[in-house]
Amino acid sequence: MIARWPKSLRFGAGIVLLWLIAAVLAPWLTPADPYAIDLDNTLRPPGGDWLMGTDHVGRDVFTRVVFAARIDIWMGVMGVLAPLLIGVTIGLFAGYFGGLFDSVMMRIVDITLAFPFLILVLAIVAMLGPGITNFIIALALVAWVSYARLIRADVMVVKNAEYVQAARTLGFSSPLIIFKHVLPNTISPIIVYAMTDMVLVVLAGASLGFIGLGVQPPTAEWGAMIADGQAYITEAWWVSFFPGLAAVSFGIGLSLIGDGLARMLRIGDT
Amino acid sequence: MFLKVGKRLGHILPVLLGISIVSFGLIQLTPGDPARMILGNKASVEAVEAVRERMGLNEPVLQQYGNYMLNLVQGDLGESLRYQQPVSELIMQFLPVTGFLALYVIVLTVPLTILLGILAARNRGRWIDQLIRMTSVLGMTMPVFWLAMLMLRIFSVELGWFPVSGFGTGFVGHLHHLFLPAVSVSIYLIPVLVRNLRAALLEEMNADYVVASRSKGLPEGYIFRRHILKNASLPTLNLFGVLITWLIGGTVIVELVYAIPGLGTLMFNAILGRDYSVIQGLTLFYAFSTVIITLVTDMLSALIDPRIEL
Amino acid sequence: MIFTRLLICCLLIFLTTVIPKSVAGEEDEADIIRIVSLYRTQTLDPIKSVFTGSIEAFGQLYTRLLRLDENDELIPGLALRWEISADATDYTFFLRKAKFSDGSPITADDVAFTLLRMRDDPEAAYSETVEDMQNAWAIDDHTLRVRFNSANIPFLQGVETAFLGIVSRADVERRGSVDAFSDIPVSSGPYQVVEWRRNDRLILEPNPHYWRAGYPLNDGAELIEVVDVNTRIAMLQAGEVDAVRYIQNSHFAELSEDPDVVLPVEPAMRVSVLLLNHDRPPFSDKRVREAAALALDMDRITKAMLRGRGRTANTLLPEQLEFYDPDFPGWEYNPDRARQLIEEAGATGADVTINITAPDSDWEMAALIVQSYWGAIGLNVIIQKMDQALYEQRLEDGDYDSSIEWWYNDSKEPDLAVRWALCGSCGNRAYYTNYQNDRVDELVEMGTAEMDPDRRREIYREIQALAFRDVAQIPLYYFPWPNAYSTGIEGLRLRPSTQWTLEEARRVP
Repeated sequence: MIARWPKSLRFGAGIVLLWLIAAVLAPWLTPADPYAIDLDNTLRPPGGDWLMGTDHVGRDVFTRVVFAARIDIWMGVMGVLAPLLIGVTIGLFAGYFGGLFDSVMMRIVDITLAFPFLILVLAIVAMLGPGITNFIIALALVAWVSYARLIRADVMVVKNAEYVQAARTLGFSSPLIIFKHVLPNTISPIIVYAMTDMVLVVLAGASLGFIGLGVQPPTAEWGAMIADGQAYITEAWWVSFFPGLAAVSFGIGLSLIGDGLARMLRIGDT
Repeated sequence: MFLKVGKRLGHILPVLLGISIVSFGLIQLTPGDPARMILGNKASVEAVEAVRERMGLNEPVLQQYGNYMLNLVQGDLGESLRYQQPVSELIMQFLPVTGFLALYVIVLTVPLTILLGILAARNRGRWIDQLIRMTSVLGMTMPVFWLAMLMLRIFSVELGWFPVSGFGTGFVGHLHHLFLPAVSVSIYLIPVLVRNLRAALLEEMNADYVVASRSKGLPEGYIFRRHILKNASLPTLNLFGVLITWLIGGTVIVELVYAIPGLGTLMFNAILGRDYSVIQGLTLFYAFSTVIITLVTDMLSALIDPRIEL
Repeated sequence: MIFTRLLICCLLIFLTTVIPKSVAGEEDEADIIRIVSLYRTQTLDPIKSVFTGSIEAFGQLYTRLLRLDENDELIPGLALRWEISADATDYTFFLRKAKFSDGSPITADDVAFTLLRMRDDPEAAYSETVEDMQNAWAIDDHTLRVRFNSANIPFLQGVETAFLGIVSRADVERRGSVDAFSDIPVSSGPYQVVEWRRNDRLILEPNPHYWRAGYPLNDGAELIEVVDVNTRIAMLQAGEVDAVRYIQNSHFAELSEDPDVVLPVEPAMRVSVLLLNHDRPPFSDKRVREAAALALDMDRITKAMLRGRGRTANTLLPEQLEFYDPDFPGWEYNPDRARQLIEEAGATGADVTINITAPDSDWEMAALIVQSYWGAIGLNVIIQKMDQALYEQRLEDGDYDSSIEWWYNDSKEPDLAVRWALCGSCGNRAYYTNYQNDRVDELVEMGTAEMDPDRRREIYREIQALAFRDVAQIPLYYFPWPNAYSTGIEGLRLRPSTQWTLEEARRVP
């Protein structure tokens, strides 16, 4: 089956799989403790004992880059899954039933869309305090609207399709129709979008890290590591370069999966 | 048509009302005290209380909201708690900068997007398509602040081609000052836009009427110009709308890195300083412009393609 | 074809953008000093903010009765001379002839108004200096009398602080206390406001009526606000500004190699401390506080943080203060004793939070180091980084375990310092630590009224020793202002009390 996957999907899945393995096996793949500081060995260049050098408090950059995969994958998955579940559920029901529920939900969508994304997330994080959990909560509150809109538009089409109408005349219950017939026929674009969205989530997390409202120290997270290392860019380029490389490669992997899926599922591509 | 526009305009009011409630609620729930943020941590509790009293922050929440809405209906966005300057004045002070940046980005992105989108679509699957795709993935996944800082180091500090900060004076000065910021935003945006445009074009290329024209033996270039481009203008237009609305609020990070005194900086500082009235005023401003731009895009779409419902 | 057109378009845009710099040539020749800072001008009313950014602006706009010379010693300012009554309750100042920026004379009545306004305005942020003032009045246009209820020694240092910058009575009464300062205030200092672009910069030009003839030496100044430290430094390196207020430790190495940048060691009247919440376990237990101090290898921390640009703090008061005790031994590094104390207190494995403000990589680094030392003695440390508003709120509410902070004093006078940082009954609950030692509070009051310098020294030394042994806070290090200057200017520095010597700055000829 994999053999029939488009090349980009195989390649992207490969990259992401590598990161997944790295995340799971992090403690066995890395030589050091990601949190142990060593003031005698700060800002050591790559080579020797430190494959990617050490940062400003003497932590091993390689170890932290690998461990950060855990946080970033978690952040990406949860940051997409939470809004996806909320958005898809609301979009399905709003699109299928229409009426008052639909109108109210769409006004809420309008309201949320009218806030600039990063600013709303920033405000929510300021309110809840920084940290991954709060970031994900903020995302869930903001990002579900894209999913809801996407799926609602498709549901409006699918609900009038012959097989749905047939199911309805056969007397199937609405939830059954929605989950058995409507959802499977509308979910593909959502999956593709989710892949791109995951890149955006990781990037948004990095942006918050730049403002200082990202993950809490000493958590290893690529965005926060780039932001921390930026100050040392001339003195010790490796502190921000390697986490940057990791983030970019992960992003490329996800984008390729998105591309490949789109091609395979024939969405916006043929 | 006019009826429908009227109906859409009618929707704006509840949306704006909702936004005012949400932003007001968010502010009330956010810990931190604007009075303390002006006076400083050494200031006495009494002084903080006095300032809160003057700002009207000690009144019941509903009354505060009522007052706010009452002023709003009269077109008054209130005064900045921190600067005692009308919020509308502050917005007008920072808007031109962000507006200029947004236009600049559009001027940079739109031609390139169309160029790359068409190139990729026409050469689908060939090396040029792959190249465009890979570079755009790279552009999209680089954190914008990192890229911005690198460009600043290289082009401003090392080479001295561009200024580090600010807005400059005069049209040419603005162009010069905002070049790197505009490029930073574009590098992030172009990939997203190209990807969308390419998909839209491909969809058109495989549409029935194109296949039909092709079977009639019309030359490919002719079909592309006559049919595909024309029909792809719709998704492009929509993309354009999304782009503008994104730009109004999406330049915060770039504004911070390049020290540009725009709306993003204003909002960022207002959130950090808990300048409630500025946060609220700006939110409403953002919302209003988003709604209007979306409406205009939809109206234009309806004009181009009468099948589209408003 | 369409592509070629588009390409030409892009090329044109690029050219029009790059060319101007070479064509336009150098910018204005006027001698404008530009300082870029993290800190914001929040208000132009000198009594209404104690935040660093605002204070730095006040100093440029409002002159004071006394001022500081190049060695930071008090010398006559607006007051040519002064007399203090034998019981130190009456102060008489003899003023020189001077004018406000609007050309009206600065009279003793304006100064009295300034003092009374600080005492009586409920919104005055920091009125400790005049809290005990009975009255202030003009004897004639150029003679001012200030009377205190009881002996007040610190007052003379107090009148030099930026909060007591002299404002125009006529103007404040005419425009009202809010409007008079909301846009372009009447100034008495070296500069007046050209434009206050809020959230961006304060643009200043020389006050033509400033009493120090010939000053400022430059043609104006801009105080620019930029959040990101990397951007601030890039601005300096690109020659867009002449000075950067607040670089971070991470930039010392890079900047010290730049031939166009100087990094002077400018003493600051400040100390960095670990605040401990005395009202909440585990730091409500003195043994745990002591353990927390003994667990830290201070010299190592200082070295890692400051890279040789400062020294470990041995008391809780800034080393620049009068009556600071240089011989006090400070904390020794004794992790074994610390571990033992933690065990005795039953605090092994206790959760402790360290609050820091974002975004500041220096404090984050300090927190990481403290976390590792405290972890070694059995405390479980959680770092909480948050934006400043939330941070201040938590501090004020006492909703924290420990917090990494620095504070500075506005003058050499220790009275304000101990009232702020160590006195439990003076308001602010000893820097929001809830530290309470009645003897310390009693000594603070004695210090204000004591006239004999030797006795005062004893009093302040005792306060330092008491608070240190109670582990009121943990002092970390004394560190200079982390500012960087372009070699193109001279005469500009930041005084220990956070005041720029801007009027004396000029471009190197």
